Amino acid sequence: MADNNDWEPKIVAFCCNWCSYGGADTAGMGRFQQPASTRVIRVMCSGRIDPLHVYNAFLEGADAVLVTGCHLGDCHYVNGNEKTELKYQFLEEMVKQLGLEPERLYLNWISASEGERFANFINDVTAKVKEIGPSPLKPEGVS
Amino acid sequence: MVEVGDKLVGYATDDEVRKRGASGGLVTAVLAAALEKGMVESVVVLKHIDEYEAVPIITDDVEEVLASTGSMHSVPVNLAKYAVDRKVAMPGKPCDIKAVIEQSKRNMIDLDNTYLVGLNCGGTMPPVLTKQMLIEMYDIDPEDVVGEDIEKGKLIYRTKDGNEKAISIEELEEAGFGRRKNCQYCQLKIPTNSDLACGNWGVIGDLAGSATFCEVMNEKGKKLIENAVEAGRIEVAPASDKAIAIREKVNGVMVKMGETTQEKVFTQMPDEERLPYYREALADCIDCGGCKLACPVCSCGDDAKCTLFHSLGDNYKMSMFHLVRLLHLSDSCIGCGQCTDVCPVDIPITRIQMSFSIPVQTKLNYKPGMNADEKPPFFEVMIK
Amino acid sequence: MTKQEAITNEEAEELRIGAFICECGVNIAGAVDCNAVADYISTLPNVTTAVVNKYTCSDAGQEEIKKAIKDLDLNRVLVASCTPKTHEPIFRACVEEAGLNPYLFEFVNIREHCSWIHMWEKEDATKKAKELVRMGVARAALLEPLQSSEVPVTNKALVIGAGVTGMQAAMDIGDMGFQVYLVEAGPSIGGKMAQLDKTFPTNDCSICILGPKMVEVNRNPNIEIMSYSEVEEVDGYVGNFDVKVKHKARYVDINLCSGCNSCVEKCPVEVPYWEFNEGIGTRKAVYVPFPQAVPLRALIDKSICIDCGACSKACERGAINMDQEDTFSELEVGVIVVCVGYDVYDPEPNHDFGFGLYDNVITTMEFERLINASGPTMGKVVRPSDVVQPKRIGFVQCVGSRDVNSNIYCSSFCCMASLKNAQLIKEKYPDTEVYIMYMDMRTPFRMYEEFYNRARDMDIHFIRGRPAEVTENEDKNIIARIEDTLTNKIENLELDMMVLSVGAVSPESTEKIRQILKVSRAADGFMMEAHPKLKPVDTTLDGIFIGGMTQGPKDIPYSISQGSACAARATRFLAQGKALTEGITIAVDEDICVGCGVCVPMCPFQALKMDDDGKLEIIKALCKGCGTCAVACPSGALQQSHYKNNQILAQVKEVFAYEEV
Repeated sequence: MADNNDWEPKIVAFCCNWCSYGGADTAGMGRFQQPASTRVIRVMCSGRIDPLHVYNAFLEGADAVLVTGCHLGDCHYVNGNEKTELKYQFLEEMVKQLGLEPERLYLNWISASEGERFANFINDVTAKVKEIGPSPLKPEGVS
Repeated sequence: MVEVGDKLVGYATDDEVRKRGASGGLVTAVLAAALEKGMVESVVVLKHIDEYEAVPIITDDVEEVLASTGSMHSVPVNLAKYAVDRKVAMPGKPCDIKAVIEQSKRNMIDLDNTYLVGLNCGGTMPPVLTKQMLIEMYDIDPEDVVGEDIEKGKLIYRTKDGNEKAISIEELEEAGFGRRKNCQYCQLKIPTNSDLACGNWGVIGDLAGSATFCEVMNEKGKKLIENAVEAGRIEVAPASDKAIAIREKVNGVMVKMGETTQEKVFTQMPDEERLPYYREALADCIDCGGCKLACPVCSCGDDAKCTLFHSLGDNYKMSMFHLVRLLHLSDSCIGCGQCTDVCPVDIPITRIQMSFSIPVQTKLNYKPGMNADEKPPFFEVMIK
Repeated sequence: MTKQEAITNEEAEELRIGAFICECGVNIAGAVDCNAVADYISTLPNVTTAVVNKYTCSDAGQEEIKKAIKDLDLNRVLVASCTPKTHEPIFRACVEEAGLNPYLFEFVNIREHCSWIHMWEKEDATKKAKELVRMGVARAALLEPLQSSEVPVTNKALVIGAGVTGMQAAMDIGDMGFQVYLVEAGPSIGGKMAQLDKTFPTNDCSICILGPKMVEVNRNPNIEIMSYSEVEEVDGYVGNFDVKVKHKARYVDINLCSGCNSCVEKCPVEVPYWEFNEGIGTRKAVYVPFPQAVPLRALIDKSICIDCGACSKACERGAINMDQEDTFSELEVGVIVVCVGYDVYDPEPNHDFGFGLYDNVITTMEFERLINASGPTMGKVVRPSDVVQPKRIGFVQCVGSRDVNSNIYCSSFCCMASLKNAQLIKEKYPDTEVYIMYMDMRTPFRMYEEFYNRARDMDIHFIRGRPAEVTENEDKNIIARIEDTLTNKIENLELDMMVLSVGAVSPESTEKIRQILKVSRAADGFMMEAHPKLKPVDTTLDGIFIGGMTQGPKDIPYSISQGSACAARATRFLAQGKALTEGITIAVDEDICVGCGVCVPMCPFQALKMDDDGKLEIIKALCKGCGTCAVACPSGALQQSHYKNNQILAQVKEVFAYEEV
C-alpha cells in the first residue's frame, strides 16, 4: 500500500477561525496548489480542539490529524493556543505510546498571512503519510 | 510539644485497644480522639467481616472506631471517595491518601476538613486469589485463618489451632500470588503525603508489635497527635536514631523492589507491537463502566466525555471510552489498581493506564497525589 | 448512547436543508463541477433542495435563498462558496431577513479550500467539494438557533493615557456629549508631543499647537482629567466596566496650588530632569512639570525630598501637604480607550553606535530637548562633552528599528523626524554640515515626499548606509566608518555630534494595564488590534479600543486620526445605550457538571466562576466564545454553542465515506 501512488490519504485539519483557517484561505488566494488530501474543520480557537476530536478523527479513519492555531502570543483569545499546546503534549505522548507513527499527528502555528506556509505544510504531511501508508486505526472499508 | 517533622513512637493508652491493634493501636486512638474532641464529624473505618472482606463505614460513634482496629492486607478497597463532602478523619494506605489529594484538586474534598492518617503499606492482596493461595501454597483452609503478618520478606498466616506458616513473598509472587500487581511496582510505601505517617517499621525491641512509629508530616498531623495526647488516648515518645534508621532501611528496600519491578513490567514494547497489544487487550471490554466508577481519582459523574462519545455500535478499531480515559487519567493516575480489581473480564487496565501515565508524568514532571498545591498538568493554563 | 444518537438532533422538528452551491463565475466552476456537487448533495438525508448559483452572494443569489426559505419552508441553509471570513456575515444577515435564525446557516468553503488549490485536478476537486459539502450538511443538521443578548451601557468613557491621541479621543467623546474620565500616569497631560520641538511636515512648534489643545481638554466640561493617576483594576465587560483608579500623592493640594513656582525657587534639592528633559538640565524635588503643563500644578518627588520644609514656607496658599496619601476612585464606565503610547528605543544596553560610551552620541529625543527654545539650553544646540555648538552633525537612521537584533518593524516616524531636525539645524546654523545616514528614506503620506525634497535642496548630505564602526578621537569627536552603498565609497566621517534616530518600543510600564484589560499583545510587543485592516482601533474585547502608538509606531497625524477613530468606535456603544453580546458562548449542563472547577482558570475573560454552593456560574456577557473551557471540562458538561462536540464530530464523521461518492 505504501508505494501505491494513487492512494490519497485523508487528513483532518483542525483550524482556528482567526489564524490557521485564514492561512488556509490565504493559501487559496495565492493559488498555492495542494494535494486534495485535507479536510479543514473550523473552530473558533485552537484551544477548542479537544483531544477527543483528534482521537475520533483517527478512529473514523484519518491517516493524519493536524492541530493548528495562531502563533504563540498572537491568540485572538489571549492564550488559547498555550492551552492547545499543553493538551497537545499529552496527545503527542499518548499517540506515541499507542504505537501510531509520529508522522500522523502535528501541531503547527500558522498565521492568517502565511498561505504558502500552510500549503507547504499540507504538501509535506501528505507526502510523509503517503510514505507510511494508511493508518492502522482506519476502519475496514473506509476511504 | 510536638513539631512538624517529629518522628515518634507511641501507642494507645487503653490496653484493650493497644492489644487488639496490629501495632499498638495508635492510629485507632488518634482517630477516636479526633472524633470525640470534635475535630471531625465522622471517621472512615473498615468494618471487619472476615479476613478477606471488610466494608468501609462512616461513623460518628467513638466505640465503633475503637472496634475497628487491625490491618487488612486482603481488602484493597480505596477509601478516598468516602471523604467527599465530609469533615472526616480517615486512615489510608499511600494510594488512599494520593486519591484524596487528587480529589481535593478537583474541588471534591476540602483538605482543611480532612485529616489523613497514613499507614505504611508494602502492598495489598486480592481477596479471591489469596484464598486460592492459602489452599495451593499454604495448604490452609482459608476459613481457619485468624491472623496474618509480614516479617522479613515473608508472609505469615496463623490458624485457629495456633500454628503458623511462612512463605517468602518472592516465592508467592513468582507463583502468581502475593501482592496485587500494581502494589508490586508501587513506590510510595510510607505515606509521606498524609498528615501523619504511621506504621510498624522502626518499632524495635520490647515495643515491637505493640507500638506505632509515626512521623508528623504537617500542621494537621501535629494537631492530630496533640489532640490525642491531650485526650489521654495515646502516649508518644521521640523515636530513637536506630528506630529511624531501621524504618528508612525497610522503606528503602521496599521502594527499590518497586522500582525494579516497574522497570521489568514496563519494558517498552517495540513500536509496531504496541497498537496490536492495546487493541487486543481492550477488545474484551464489555462496556460495563466499572473501571470508571471504581477510579478514586476520577471526579466525573455517570456521564462524562469518556462515555458520552462512545458506543459499542461504532465501527472503531479501539474504544473511544478507553482512549479518553487513558488521556484524562494520564497525568493523574495513581496506580492504585482499583480498575483492574473490578474489571469483570480481567483487562489489566491499571497496567495499560500506567504504560501511558508513566511517560506522561515523567515528561511533565508531575507526581499525582503528593502535593495538594501542585496542579495536574492537564488543568494548567500556561506552558511552564 | 451511540455516537449516532449523540450527534443526532434531539428536536423532533423535520429538517429541511437548502444547499446553495456558488460557481463564483469560474473561480469555483473552473475546477469544481458544481452541478455534480448539487446532484450528489440532493441525495443526502434532510436536504430539501440543492441549487447552483452563478454568484450566490449577489442580490439575485441572496434573493433566491430568501425565496427558497419561504417557498420550501427551509429551516437550515448551507452555502458552499468562498470564505466565511468575509461572507458569513452577509449570508447570516440574508437568512435572518427571511426569518431564519442566523446561526442556522452553515458555510462551506469550496473556493479557497478547494477550487483554488486544486486548479488542475477537476476530478479530485469535485470529489473533495462533495465531501466538504457533505460535512457541512451533517453539521447544518445539528445547528441550533442562538440569540445575542443585549446589555445596557453606562454612558461614560474612560480614556487611559493623555498624550495627543488620548486627548483627541477624550475631546471627541466629550464633544459628542458623553462624560469622559481621562487618566494620565504623569503629572501633566500632553504626552511625548509636549517634549518635541517642531513637528513635520509643517515645522510648526509642537507645544504651540499642542498647548491650546491641552487647555481645550481642560476646559471641556465633559472631561475630568485625572493626572498623576493610574488604573489599578478593571472588572466587568462592555457597557459595564468597574474601574479602580489610584491617584498618586503629589504632596501638593492641586486645588490650592497655582503653579506659581515660588516653592520651586526655594527648594534646595536639584536632580537631572529625566522625565521631561531626557536628563539634560535639572529639576527640583518640588517642581512644575513644564511651563505649559495641564494641570499647571507643582508636585513633590518624595524619593529625593529632604523634608526641609522650605517649600511649605514659600507657599503663600498653604498648598504643600507632606501628609498626603494615595487616594482611590471607583469609576463606572461603558467603554475604555487605551492610548498609553510608547517609549523611544533605548540604545544604552547594547551601546548601539557607541551610545553610552561616547558623550557626543545622543538620541533624537535628547536632540529635541536641545533644540527646543523652551528646553534646558534655551534652544542652543550644544554637544554634551564640552557644551560647544557642533559644526558637523550626523543622524543615524533605524536605530532600534528594522533590525533583527532589536526590532524588525519600521518605526515609521524617524525618517521624517531626522529630516525635520536636519532642516532645523540648517535654518538655525546654516554653516553646519549635516549628514543623514540611512538604509531607505521612507516618506509616504501627504507633503512628506516634498519635505524630503526640501531637505535635499538644503545641502544636507545623504549617505545610504549605516556606520559599520563608531569610535571617538581625542577631541571627543565621533568617527563613523561608513560605506555609501550608492557610490561604494568607504569613508571615516568625523562628526562633532551624532544623533541616533531611535525608533518606538512598547513601554514595559504599559504591560500592567494590558494585562489588567486582557488585551492581546502582538509579536512586536504593542497591543493588538482586532483586525489589521478592517478593525484597526478595536480590540478583540468588546468595548475596549486602542489608539495611537499603543497599537504600533505611527506619527502624530495618524495618531490623532486613531484617537478620533477610537472615539467614534467607542461612542457607538454610548449612543446606542446598549451592546450585543456574542451569540456563540458557553453553556453548562448542570446535570452533568460536578463542580470540579477545572474550567474556571481556563477562561482568560473571567466568564466562569464557582458560586458559594460550588456550582459553576457563567457570566455570558464576558464570554467570547473561544470554547477552551469546554476542552478542559472532563465531564463534557460545558458545551460551546455552535461548536458543540456533536457538531464537530458529525463533521469529522462525514470526512470519510464507506462507499465511493
